[in-house]
Amino acid sequence: MNKFSKIELDFIIDKLTNSIENIQTGDSFPTEISILNVSELKAIIKKNGWNFNWKNEFKQPEKDIYKLTIVGNPSIIQGLISLEVKKDHVYMHLIESAPFNIGKTKVYLGIPGNLVAFACKLSFQRGGEGYISFIAKTKLIDHYIDTLGAIHFGGHLMVITTESALKLIGKYFKT
Amino acid sequence: MGLIKEPLDVDFVVDPRPLTKEEENAISEFIKADKEKRLAKTKRVTKSQNELKN
Repeated sequence: MNKFSKIELDFIIDKLTNSIENIQTGDSFPTEISILNVSELKAIIKKNGWNFNWKNEFKQPEKDIYKLTIVGNPSIIQGLISLEVKKDHVYMHLIESAPFNIGKTKVYLGIPGNLVAFACKLSFQRGGEGYISFIAKTKLIDHYIDTLGAIHFGGHLMVITTESALKLIGKYFKT
Repeated sequence: MGLIKEPLDVDFVVDPRPLTKEEENAISEFIKADKEKRLAKTKRVTKSQNELKN
């Protein structure tokens, strides 16, 4: 576990309240975001439907891995995000919804939005003024512009600015 | 409190490759310029408000 993890566990986890929506029923469920534990990594593998190598991601000390879960149901991970705090912003290395939240048969809506909003919040907390950057797949660039208010510049680079970050945080976090 | 509802046929995926030095610099330059733009905007608004008071 890297040097930032303990601090984030202490300052962030218990204060986050947001929600995801069940596609079938339309019911909303409050969620929380917390640091991923090493013991949970065992089940986050390709065999279980996860696309990325989270074990490898976990090993890199500059990155912090967070999980999104429903309040009261901490054992079912709804999505993961890998973040690195840079000097002037937070860089989003990876984000992935749980296998059951992907594609046309996904169970819950709102997983990525929750996680990105959290990244923006983290950026504010770490002095990055809400700025987030990431590299987008070409076909999704317009989607990120529309849904996240991200700005596209130079190749596949995308940045979420302070203004868009505030909007995202406003949507997901109670004030 | 709301949700960003991603389309059912679109999943949020980022390219997991690490940033090159050039890309890191480009991002920092963009952020710097955006901050300056925001600051200039704030100053203009403050100045206008002061002029209205006087």
